[in-house]
Amino acid sequence: MSLLRNLTSGIRTLFRKEQVDRELDEELRGYQEMAADEKMKQGMSRQDALRAVRLERGSLGGTKEIIRSGGWEFVVDTLWRDLLFAVRMLRRNPGSTAAVVIALALGIGLNATVFSFVNALLLRPPTGVKAPEQLREIWIHNPRDSGAQGYLPLTYPDYFYYYRDHNQSFEGLLAYDGDPHLVIWNRSGEGQTVLGQLVSGNFFSLLDVNAVLGRTISAEDDQPANPQPVVVLGYGFWRRHLGSDSTILGKTLMLNGVNYSVIGVAPPGFTGLLVGFEPDFWAPTAMVEQITRDKGRLSNWHGHWLIAIGRLKPEASTNGARAEVSVLEHQIEKDHPDLERNLDATVFPATLIPAPYRIYVSAFTGLLMAVFGFVLLIACANVASFLLARATGRTREMAVRSALGAGRGRLIQQMLVESTLLSSFAGLLGLILAYWTAPLLLALKPASLPITLRLPIDWRVLLFTIIVSLICGVAFGLTPALRSAKVQLASNLKDETRPAGFRKSRLRSLLLTGEVATCTLLLVCATLCVRSLRNASSINPGFNTQHVIAARLDPGSLGYSEVQVRTFYEQLSEHVRALPGVTAASFTDHLPLGPAREHTLATDAMRLGPGNKDWLPIDRLRVAPGYFQTMGIPLLRGRDFNSSETEAGASVAIINETLAQRLWKNQDPLGKRMNFYQEKGPTEVIGVVPTGKYRTLGEDPVPVVFLPQMWARRTLVVRTSGDPATLLASVRREIHSVDPNIAPTDLETMQQYMSLPLFPARTLGLLLGVSGFLALVLTAIGLFGVISYIVSQRTHEIGVRVALGARRSDILNLVVRHGLFLTVVGLVVGLGMAFGAAQLVSSLLYGVAPTDPPTFIAVATTLCVVTVLACYLPARRAMRVDPMVSLRYE
Amino acid sequence: MPDKSSDLVQGTLDMLVLKTLALESMHGYGISVRIEQMSKGVFRPNAGSLFLAIQRLHRDGLIDGEWKPTENNRRAKYYALTEKGRKRLNSETREWGRQAAAIARILEAS
Repeated sequence: MSLLRNLTSGIRTLFRKEQVDRELDEELRGYQEMAADEKMKQGMSRQDALRAVRLERGSLGGTKEIIRSGGWEFVVDTLWRDLLFAVRMLRRNPGSTAAVVIALALGIGLNATVFSFVNALLLRPPTGVKAPEQLREIWIHNPRDSGAQGYLPLTYPDYFYYYRDHNQSFEGLLAYDGDPHLVIWNRSGEGQTVLGQLVSGNFFSLLDVNAVLGRTISAEDDQPANPQPVVVLGYGFWRRHLGSDSTILGKTLMLNGVNYSVIGVAPPGFTGLLVGFEPDFWAPTAMVEQITRDKGRLSNWHGHWLIAIGRLKPEASTNGARAEVSVLEHQIEKDHPDLERNLDATVFPATLIPAPYRIYVSAFTGLLMAVFGFVLLIACANVASFLLARATGRTREMAVRSALGAGRGRLIQQMLVESTLLSSFAGLLGLILAYWTAPLLLALKPASLPITLRLPIDWRVLLFTIIVSLICGVAFGLTPALRSAKVQLASNLKDETRPAGFRKSRLRSLLLTGEVATCTLLLVCATLCVRSLRNASSINPGFNTQHVIAARLDPGSLGYSEVQVRTFYEQLSEHVRALPGVTAASFTDHLPLGPAREHTLATDAMRLGPGNKDWLPIDRLRVAPGYFQTMGIPLLRGRDFNSSETEAGASVAIINETLAQRLWKNQDPLGKRMNFYQEKGPTEVIGVVPTGKYRTLGEDPVPVVFLPQMWARRTLVVRTSGDPATLLASVRREIHSVDPNIAPTDLETMQQYMSLPLFPARTLGLLLGVSGFLALVLTAIGLFGVISYIVSQRTHEIGVRVALGARRSDILNLVVRHGLFLTVVGLVVGLGMAFGAAQLVSSLLYGVAPTDPPTFIAVATTLCVVTVLACYLPARRAMRVDPMVSLRYE
Repeated sequence: MPDKSSDLVQGTLDMLVLKTLALESMHGYGISVRIEQMSKGVFRPNAGSLFLAIQRLHRDGLIDGEWKPTENNRRAKYYALTEKGRKRLNSETREWGRQAAAIARILEAS
């Protein structure tokens, strides 16, 4: 009741201001008259009586102000009036307002962009899933390993015999394949690659995801004893490739040579529990051997491939679940001592990124947030010093307001309204910027990564932007506001605003120094990363990247026999070699610098013995004859494999120089024999090639052996004399003409392929380059602003100096010296910080030391030059000061 | 003359205004004079505090206002206690009595 009355009374005051005011006026006037009447009865004149009443009881205006400020509507009213005033003030200087808003918008926008990635990767729960906050991931943990290597997903027997049915904490425990499969879809004789994910029978029911058409995979479909070849289609796949065919149910799709019947279509927006992947279909986990052609996967106690996720019962706790899975893991060890697992198990909250990898994603996005946070800081410092300058110019206005009765709080409020208005505009613009730049950032990723990432501007991004904008508004507005509220009435009203020298602008100089320091930090990191990118692009990987194309093929996935596989590759090789422009073609089991690896240990056959500890860890590649010629790798000694060696899987090897050096230092390796760990028979070295790059571009020399045996999964490499891109289509056609069922999973030029190993360097180089450039521009603007302000405040003093005989060069010196002084102080601080920060990114740098002296010197020089330029314009104005004019201004 | 109302504990003025209005409805000046008389000149609220208290009480629904002619043929807003205001006055008077007695006991104890 009283709240309502309070509200209506307040609203009445707001909207019927005049009437309420008149009433109050009448009431107060009556009050004074009555008090005066009393006094007049005691013999005072009317005038004296009224005066006495005012003295005793307060003046009419003051009283009214007190009463008005008592209600809540007063705050709303003043805020509104401040807002209107702020808009007027900002519109008066459209140029500087726009500059401030744009600078801030860039800072806020870039941060919002990075945050939209953080949101998409780390914060957003899986869509279309019931109560995702109850889901927990189970990981087997090796306490002896640190980082992501220490965590393993479950094996099928782990899941099937232990975790799924023997826990009390979960309502149910689902599992899915952590590595989605690229599968060949044989569409009436044409092969096409599609992305599939294997899921347990309770996957859909536990997530409460219902098919829009048909049904989802059930527990009956997923029996290892009797797996059903059924698939649920992804909504996007169904729409794009099957034209939303509503009669699809019961029809079959041939996937990797096996017919699967379509039982349903998943709802739109549901893409599973893994970030970045949008499966085209889901199939039961028990079908894994048919999909991967990997016999025995279901009974393999060593193959860790299932990510298990449980829905916590309402009464269960995460800690309870953790203790329980740990007990289960120890039970496995007790039951199967022959496995020698010595592992533990633990649970994590489930998000779109599997728990062990979250730390890396957090670290990377955290680094980006920090970098762009610094850019924002510089932008804020700029705005603060701009507002500070304006606030000083408005001291008189503040003094007048204060004299008219405005309190300190009111003045601060008004300044803060102005700054938050600025930052709100900037936040809005920043959001628009983020909306446009986030997809651009995603385009940096190599095309060969089958990743689809949605970057929605949802409430989290919105909230983040609002909070950042408000913090910015208050942060850069508070100091000027506090400053301007501290007015000295008398001196200001008398127009004694003549700040002498630079000491008066200490705060602004401090801001500027900080700005220069931050800018230095960013510029050093940016320069290091850009240089590292240039180095990385020019690193010789040891093979030709200009005239080669590659295609990944796997006829084995279709269940082809060994003979069929061999025939296919022989025919393909002939077809491709016959293409115009092709100078060579060959195969390898995997390309260097990709995600695939084969490790083993090797030793000199002469040293092989029971006590030998001389095993050397090496990488192993398997290549067909002509591989080195195709890839442009010269044979230093010996000869290439021949086709009979490939066919027979002969025990011959070609090694790289590093391996030759490690095993037979200063000896001729040709004809020497080596052994591989736990493999029978020695292998004879028949050739030596130069050492290239195999794992990463920045690696130290890795010892590598090339062997002639090949598997069904191979990468075709083709050398052309002309532009390789023109050959992509004809190679695809040849693959199709040899066997229409087979589709290449990655068909690309070597240059496209190289975008994968260069991805981290490129991303970092680009992002840091952009931020460094922005930082430099913003700092230059800041320097220019502060120096011109100081010059304008010193016009009088400069006039005096000129009048006393100072030369123009003296004035120029005076101004530039001050700017340079600020820059040098900032530089020293910034270089120190950069020295520390560069160590953090050192692992991402190619061929540049984090303390690279040329980088540091270049940054310092650039900043000094920019400072001199930023000082020059205001200094020129100072030189032109006419002493007559500036002195007369007194 | 010092402004005695500043010595008043926040909220106490509200209680005094309610007490004044408990006897008869009255205009602002009347309230002020009555408080001064009853306190024998110790409290002399200035116009700002007084009308702020009146506004507060009015918004809380403890008093009602009505424009009426005065004995000197002026127009003034007369305030009267509402039922709710009467209850509030009773409870506050009781509470004040308790507290004042307690404070007095503490001060006399030493």
